[in-house]
Amino acid sequence: MVRIVIDIFLAVGVIFTFIGVLGVQRLPDVFGRLQASTCIATLGNIGVALAGIVYTVANHGEVMAYIRLGIILLLILATNPISNHALCKAAYRTGVKPAKDLVIDDYKEDDPA
Amino acid sequence: MQKPSKFACWLSTFILCMLFWLLLTLSLDPIELILGAVVSGIVAAFAGHFFIHYRAFYLYNPVRLVALVFYCCIIFLWEMIKANVSMARIVLSPNLGNYQAGIIRVPGSPNIKSEYGMAMVSDCITLSPGTITMDVAEDEENNTYYYVHWIDVTETDREKAGEVIKGRMERWIGRIWQ
Amino acid sequence: MIEFLIASLLFVVLAFSLLYRVFKGPTAADRLCAADSLDLVCATALVLYALYSGRSIYMDIALVVALLGFVSTVFVARYLERRL
Repeated sequence: MVRIVIDIFLAVGVIFTFIGVLGVQRLPDVFGRLQASTCIATLGNIGVALAGIVYTVANHGEVMAYIRLGIILLLILATNPISNHALCKAAYRTGVKPAKDLVIDDYKEDDPA
Repeated sequence: MQKPSKFACWLSTFILCMLFWLLLTLSLDPIELILGAVVSGIVAAFAGHFFIHYRAFYLYNPVRLVALVFYCCIIFLWEMIKANVSMARIVLSPNLGNYQAGIIRVPGSPNIKSEYGMAMVSDCITLSPGTITMDVAEDEENNTYYYVHWIDVTETDREKAGEVIKGRMERWIGRIWQ
Repeated sequence: MIEFLIASLLFVVLAFSLLYRVFKGPTAADRLCAADSLDLVCATALVLYALYSGRSIYMDIALVVALLGFVSTVFVARYLERRL
């Protein structure tokens, strides 16, 4: 029973990491790749960490193990948006052209710099 | 918005560092406690005034802590799962779903004025796949704007787009931060 | 449990496929984005291997890898923006 729950969480983690990696390979420009790589950081990591937490709790592992898993999860969730935001802004301002024309581009008109 | 005193900054950061130390070591051994207190005191003395800008003890309030935990575990998780599934639909479709990307200026809610609240709203927008906050700006009348790169623009009207992107999340964050 | 080892190997394969994007990507931002994802995938593979082998030292290494990936990405992005 516990094993089925662990397998489901692990499958969610692997599937969404695969979707993120596939998006990084398939999408045509850097903005789309950044959007897809968020999938790895959110549901991929949450699935794997939840599987690990359920496994350690069910096997009466040491308390440190799942606290450390929770800390890794929180740290990734807290730091990944900052690096994504910095990278997106840097890509826009170094003049990377999007693959297709943007539907609406308010940033270029206003340019708050 | 007046600045808090230096001691309040130091004490607030010290409590946060000490809680993190207790979580990392998980022991009540007196030597480790003293070592942790010394290290967090030094860290708080250096980093306190970068970390706290106004109202040092704002988050140490049980109602706000409960709201924060509830928001992170239920509301935010549900919004994130929905965004993940729609991103998966774009990536797995054979012709990439013919998405139309765009950068849109979204007006922020007038209730959220503090730096922590704005940072948390933009982090939550970035963490849901499909939207990335590029910049936060403020005009003369103190209105805040978020510049959001949106991978599949379904709504070009700015108010409605803001409701689609961050409506529910921002209403909940408004209950936690000012 | 054997599932952790299988999932860990899958993550390693995914990390190698990301290396292709690091070498090929047309602009610097593409390479940096792929390298950032590579950090996260490596950290997750280390976590899974720690769960399989039962040694918690790998989990510490995963923590350090995730942190260093974040710091390096932010610094290189600031450098690309010429604001460092």
